Amino acid sequence: MMEFLSGISPGIEHWLILSALLFSIGIYGVLVRKNAVGVLLSAELMLNAGILNFVIFNYFITPLIVDGELMALFLIAVAAAEAVVGMAIFVAIYKHKKTVDVTRLDTLKG
Amino acid sequence: MWNEAIHSLVFYFLAGLSILTAIAVVGSQRILRAALALAGVLICNAGFYVLLDFEFLAGVQVLVYVGGIVILVVFAIMLTSSVELVENHPSSHRKWIGALAASFFFLVTSSAFLSSDFPVDRNALRSIADVKLLGRKLLDYGAEGYVLPFEIISLLLLSVMIGGIIVARKAPQSEKKK
Repeated sequence: MMEFLSGISPGIEHWLILSALLFSIGIYGVLVRKNAVGVLLSAELMLNAGILNFVIFNYFITPLIVDGELMALFLIAVAAAEAVVGMAIFVAIYKHKKTVDVTRLDTLKG
Repeated sequence: MWNEAIHSLVFYFLAGLSILTAIAVVGSQRILRAALALAGVLICNAGFYVLLDFEFLAGVQVLVYVGGIVILVVFAIMLTSSVELVENHPSSHRKWIGALAASFFFLVTSSAFLSSDFPVDRNALRSIADVKLLGRKLLDYGAEGYVLPFEIISLLLLSVMIGGIIVARKAPQSEKKK
């Protein structure tokens, strides 16, 4: 059991495939969700997979410097900003249209 | 060996948990449950950071993401009364397009990852005091420093705060006159 578990210890490919999987689940959510808040949630999922990628490359390829971790910190701050703006926009849309269903917000559709 | 075994056990456990909760984020009918599942994914990711020896980043993740962004999203759900809005089943057409795009993305990226040869450097040990290094780098004016992005982030957060208040505040002046 112990030999088996230490034999399959995750390398960089395992980590990268994990983050790609999380990102593609996020893509599915962005394309399928109808509620705008659900789309925002899926976008957060994708952002998080991107942050995980920075951290993975920092750990495996440049372990002596902290640039990947710094990028992850900046990305977390940008994600917070994005969530604030998204929430404000959804509240404004809800006041005007009384719905946040993205399939019915088609004013700009030609 | 013990270390390696525990490391891989925790990795596979957290990976399975995070993928399951991520599927709950995109698939659950009630949007509030999706937000709680997103908190689960984010906590799993904090666990990944601990597994990769980024304890400071894990702390920031839990504080900002789980404590801030998820709460903000829950507020957005409440304010847009999406709680009662149960997501009706998306048409199979949309579902197929979404699944196709996601699986194509996954296939392309994972084949690229598997076919490329990364210069993995496992021998160099990470220094323990890397928070100190982080702080120095963040306020360094030199070519390797990040003081400019740091300042820009602070401006961005300020402008986002003001913009959020302006966009989401009560009725604008012109409507009040009516």
